[in-house]
Amino acid sequence: MSAESDYVTLISSDGYSFVVQRSSACISAAIRRMLDPSLGFAESKTNTCRFENINGLVLEKVCEYFYYNEKHKNSKDVPDMDVPAELCLELLMAADYLNV
Amino acid sequence: MTGRRSGNRIRGPQSALTDFLAANNISAAQIRDDYERRRRDAEVNGEGPSNAAAEVGAAEEEEVASEQPESEANKKKRKREERKAIDEIKNKKQAEKKGKGKAKKKQKKKHGSDDDDSEYENELGNEMYKKARPAPGQFEHCEICSKRFTVTPYSKTGPEGGLLCTLCGKELAKDEKAAKKPANKPAGRKRRKLESDRLDGFAVGGAKSLQQICIETVAKYHDDIEELGDMPAPIVERLSEIFSKKRMLKPKTLPLFLRPDLEEVILHDAAYLEVEDYKQIFAVVPNVRTLVLGNACQMKDEAMAYMLDKCHNLQHLQMYAPNLVTNAMWQRYFEAAGGKLQTVKLKWLDAAFEDDTVQTMATHCPDLRRLKLKLCRRIGEQAVNAIATMPRLEHLSLQIGRDISAEIIVNLVKQRGDNLRTLSLEKFLDADDTVLETIHDHCHRLSKLRFSENDTASNAGYTKLFTEWKNPPLSFVDVNGTRDVDNNNPDGPEEAIGVSSSAFKALMKHSGSNLKHLDISSCRHIELSAFIDVFNGAESYPMLEHINLSFCSRVDTTVVAGIFKSCPSLKKLVAFGCFDVADVVVPRNIALIGVPRAQDAIEQFGVGIDVDEALGRMIEVGA
Repeated sequence: MSAESDYVTLISSDGYSFVVQRSSACISAAIRRMLDPSLGFAESKTNTCRFENINGLVLEKVCEYFYYNEKHKNSKDVPDMDVPAELCLELLMAADYLNV
Repeated sequence: MTGRRSGNRIRGPQSALTDFLAANNISAAQIRDDYERRRRDAEVNGEGPSNAAAEVGAAEEEEVASEQPESEANKKKRKREERKAIDEIKNKKQAEKKGKGKAKKKQKKKHGSDDDDSEYENELGNEMYKKARPAPGQFEHCEICSKRFTVTPYSKTGPEGGLLCTLCGKELAKDEKAAKKPANKPAGRKRRKLESDRLDGFAVGGAKSLQQICIETVAKYHDDIEELGDMPAPIVERLSEIFSKKRMLKPKTLPLFLRPDLEEVILHDAAYLEVEDYKQIFAVVPNVRTLVLGNACQMKDEAMAYMLDKCHNLQHLQMYAPNLVTNAMWQRYFEAAGGKLQTVKLKWLDAAFEDDTVQTMATHCPDLRRLKLKLCRRIGEQAVNAIATMPRLEHLSLQIGRDISAEIIVNLVKQRGDNLRTLSLEKFLDADDTVLETIHDHCHRLSKLRFSENDTASNAGYTKLFTEWKNPPLSFVDVNGTRDVDNNNPDGPEEAIGVSSSAFKALMKHSGSNLKHLDISSCRHIELSAFIDVFNGAESYPMLEHINLSFCSRVDTTVVAGIFKSCPSLKKLVAFGCFDVADVVVPRNIALIGVPRAQDAIEQFGVGIDVDEALGRMIEVGA
């Protein structure tokens, strides 16, 4: 039981965990709701989100996107992030699920 | 290295044979490589060590020649040394082969299959005019580090034309790759793309969404994808939109969007599809409820009949330009399947679809709620009369090329008006104040109203329409192009034609609280004072997101500033041809498009400044 920390943990289906800044993770509307203490999900108490449908490779890319998005929040003409072709369909599913 | 050779390099002349081989997809480079490989294999597989040894070094050869009579021990020692040398070469080659193989594969993936041919061609061209390089297996001195190394078929050519050792070759390749990257995307094209995205209205500040990035990547690799798996329908739809936009929706990629469990097939560009492909759609997705076929120019009666045969649940039909479908087929279709149809949207029909067809549709589609007929050349007043009898119509959009008299439209609005949510009448040139009056009297449920490109109805008519109208506030209003056009009298007649000051004020008073989309472009009689009154900063229009006031020539900088202040949700303001607008500082998350300052980009996009700060800066500039 921890109070709102600056970092949260995202765990993939194959057990990899990624510790990322809360502000970055909350770019995803789904994660933001998971972690919102006023909604009282278990995730908001442990500051940990477990994704049974996202594997480590994809989740890593998602975390990369969080930071990429945060970095370019206020700039324009942002260069596109590089997405490897073999990952893009899975990543698309994950992005749809996470609403980013 | 390939990048350096492809591109706009000048090449020497090629022989007819080379051209012929290239045209037939036979690559001399490949033949040569195969030959080299066979030769290498033969060497390695023991045509005798003597053969290989001959290549190991000329010095050794001489030695062998001079020392013909030698002792057994010496012989053995020599043989051992030879074998060692051969093994070394073998190992080295194998290691290099492995490394190179990987690298090459990666490269292929990156460049796509198209580039490979030209790569070979170019290599061939260069190869022909070069000094023969040392045969593989020989020793050479590296051009850069001067180290002695074994030449392999993969040894790279250095800047001076000599050969490089493996290490230096790798360095060179790395440098070239790095140098190549920025050249890939010329800044100009990127900027134009961005500019075009802005004008399309989907570029906002910050990064794109991850979904957008992924969808674009998927579209880029469309050739390699076999199926999309269990993608949710909205994403499939989005992908199909992007495939359409990039004109990649072809018979080959079509199956990606067909799944028996889907209920909608949305193909905005079906121009490449032929009858067989249409049949495939209906065979794979028989439960389709929503069918959208843009540019369906190869849709024929045969495919329509097949659809009639297979798909019994079709409710929403939208087609653009299916001009090979005959009148008889349309009749048959509406007679057989009309009962279930709720939406019909047809555009660009030149060859068929007559008044009679619309009559049949009106009779056989009792459940039709949404109807859009645009640019259907052969329909006229009778068709409008038939539409007036459709009992459940809620959304109606019409653009008809023939002249339709005001009485016919009045009759239509009288009959259908009380049930309509959407009424869009584009380019009905003869519609006059009586039509507006009928709308005022009979339409009480509208949320979207378009009455555009008309130079008959007067300002007084519009003012009456929006004054004490029982209809709740509209969310979408488009009255663009309602003005008087007369070159001899540019200011218009005394009694203004089209939406002018008083009508605009009445419109904003009636709908301002709920209005989301406002298009008053080319309503050039609206005075500056009306704009200032409406967007005075004190009045707020909380929902307003899109405004188009292009060619409203009286608009100036204060109006734009007032709009920023009065519309907290504003996303896009289009102001082409407003020449009094200058020195605008655009607040955060708003796109201002079209303000003419030659030295600036055509669109200005607010970054990091909120409305108050932007207004503050504007005042500084003005003072």
